[in-house]
Amino acid sequence: MNAKSNLYRKEKIYGFLFILPPLLGLLIFTLYPMIYSIYGSFTDWDGLGQMNFIGLGNFKDLWSDELFHKALFNTLFMMLGIPIGITLALLLALGLNRGVPGTTAFRVIYYVPVISSLAAVSIMWNWAYNGDYGLVNQFLDLFGISGPNWMANKYTVKPALIIMAVWKGLGYTMLLYLAALQSVSRSYYEAAELDGANGFKSFWHITWPMVRPVTFFIIVTNIIGGSQIFTEMNIMTPTGGPEYASASVVFYIWQKAFGNFQMGYASAMAVFLGVFIFVVTLIQFRMNEKQSFDVD
Amino acid sequence: MLKKKGWFTLLSLVLMVSVVLTGCGGKNNASSGGNSGSEATANAGSKDSKETKNLTFMFRGGTDEQKAYEGVVKKYEADHPNVKVKIVVTAADQYATKLKASITGNSVPDVFYFESGDLKAYVNSGVLLDLTSYVEKNPNIDLNNIWKYGVDLYRYDGSMAGQGNLYGMPKDVGPFALGYNKTMFEAAGIPLPDKDKPYTWDEFIKVAQQLTIDKDGDGKLDQFGAGFNVQWALPSFVWSNGADWLDATKTKVTIDDPKFIEALQFFADMQLKYGITPSTEQAQTLDTYQRWMKGEMAFFPVGPWDMSTYEKLPFDYDLIPYPAGSTGKSATWTGSLGIGASAKTKHPDEAVDLINYLTASKEGMEALVKAKVQIPNLMDMAKEWAADTTTKPANKEEFLQVVNEYGRVLPGHYTYNAEWYNLFYTDIQPVLDGKVTPEEYVKAEQPKMQKLLDKAVEQEAKSKK
Repeated sequence: MNAKSNLYRKEKIYGFLFILPPLLGLLIFTLYPMIYSIYGSFTDWDGLGQMNFIGLGNFKDLWSDELFHKALFNTLFMMLGIPIGITLALLLALGLNRGVPGTTAFRVIYYVPVISSLAAVSIMWNWAYNGDYGLVNQFLDLFGISGPNWMANKYTVKPALIIMAVWKGLGYTMLLYLAALQSVSRSYYEAAELDGANGFKSFWHITWPMVRPVTFFIIVTNIIGGSQIFTEMNIMTPTGGPEYASASVVFYIWQKAFGNFQMGYASAMAVFLGVFIFVVTLIQFRMNEKQSFDVD
Repeated sequence: MLKKKGWFTLLSLVLMVSVVLTGCGGKNNASSGGNSGSEATANAGSKDSKETKNLTFMFRGGTDEQKAYEGVVKKYEADHPNVKVKIVVTAADQYATKLKASITGNSVPDVFYFESGDLKAYVNSGVLLDLTSYVEKNPNIDLNNIWKYGVDLYRYDGSMAGQGNLYGMPKDVGPFALGYNKTMFEAAGIPLPDKDKPYTWDEFIKVAQQLTIDKDGDGKLDQFGAGFNVQWALPSFVWSNGADWLDATKTKVTIDDPKFIEALQFFADMQLKYGITPSTEQAQTLDTYQRWMKGEMAFFPVGPWDMSTYEKLPFDYDLIPYPAGSTGKSATWTGSLGIGASAKTKHPDEAVDLINYLTASKEGMEALVKAKVQIPNLMDMAKEWAADTTTKPANKEEFLQVVNEYGRVLPGHYTYNAEWYNLFYTDIQPVLDGKVTPEEYVKAEQPKMQKLLDKAVEQEAKSKK
């Protein structure tokens, strides 16, 4: 009895020790900065000197800050890439799932951008988008279309970034769908076929509902990721683009915090963004709960 | 089961936990106890041999520049066996973030680069060491032999930048002179520009128009008069027309001045009316830069940092003053980057000594100039360097004239932050595209910029408390 409880206690200690490193990491590198920045958002901190408490002043300023509105709009606008990416990825996955020859090769090809460094990809696309010598415009030239200078035009800079983001994320989304598709039992399709449904109908009534959890996962993670989009614009349009047309919220936060000595204000934006992501994700989970059903 | 593997498990756990804890311990020290990781290494070093003093030096630059500075630091170490310098280097675009993070994290490097525009903020928050007394008592530093323009950039008296105590030394000065393609002029039979008398705006347009040609007759221009990036070249036109972004008190945005509007109109007209530059959509720096290097452009701004690249150009180029507006005088932007020391450094004497070696010593300067990444900081050395007309560009003297006579610092330098100034360029594209007139633009933009400037002034007042 005594020995057993001793062993039990020992295991408890070991268990605690094992989770200690990540726990410490979480406390020091996530929780502490988070609380610190929430506190900072109520101050006029410049990132160097002392912090003076100014209540909701920063949040009030956000309300009338044109550039913040622009950055917020840009961030939301660039999320248009999410449905596009999902559609393309699902189509590709459906195609590959039919067992076309060379499936593995295609999977690799589509996955290469996913594992490439985002910075390298951004630099490469920046060259491709160059108005004079860029690959994109040279390609358009073949069809007699003279393309714009993508990154220097406020109307094309966002679509250009969306195209790149879709291209970059395609392989990852496709692979998730491919896995989901392969786990759908053939028997459903056979049953549907007996009932006279095939083609689009069987896709709509079987495939789409069956991959629903994956779709949900992709949408949630993409919206969270999309809200935090930064590296692309930092490299491709280091000043925020023509008329600030490609600046994202995180980009603006970074500019305020590290360029203009307004750490407190930047913290307020970060808190706003955090709350925004939290609320959107919460709504999505609620909606998912309502619509989900079990197929047994 | 557990007993058998107990030893191993315990050992690995102890190892893991101790690694994590020491990591955190170091972090805690850094945030509570003044200096930094460099302090820890400094202490460790002093145990081994009493004299060794450790400094960290953080800087940025392209690969050529990194190599040049690393070489100079090595040389410094060889000359000063009691000092060890740990180098921290980043690419230019990551530098500001890294430096500001190290300040927030209370681990400021002993010696580091900083932007002249950030001077006030750093001084007011006690980040920068006041170098004045150290420089005065150091017999090796002769401030009179260093560009006054450069030194003054790092002076601050508590209210106005440009005067008072010294908080940094110029790493270099970067006079942004105007270059022209000499070979192209000769081929077209146009008299070469006078290196002592600037073109008027009208003359400049006329010459540039003569050199804007469709060579192969395909209806597309393949040679242009000029290519100017608005952010770096517009100040030249505004200043030479007697206008500026700020008034003398540095608290009022003055872009609605008619002289300013005139200069902005002229800048936009170079494309819209006279067509001497590639269309604005293509006027990205990279494109005009490439056109210049391919010999497709008559006039193009040239900085000293480009000299090593331009050596291999397939044509001859030289420097002239910028075309002058209504003041009759040229003006241009001259950049600079400062080297300062942390106010909390353990070894201020050695830190200042290193700064001196990098900015004001003959040995250090010679090595850096040889690498062709900058012009000499020392005026006597610069004169000698400019007198050598056998290397390109022949009229290097122009660089020195820019620094001594007509170079200026960007308006953001004078204010607590440059947000108000940057906004001007964020919104300017429609003006260059001819969709908004300069007059409408400055009217709409002035209040927005003023609001940001007011905020910066207010911030500055707070930071002094």
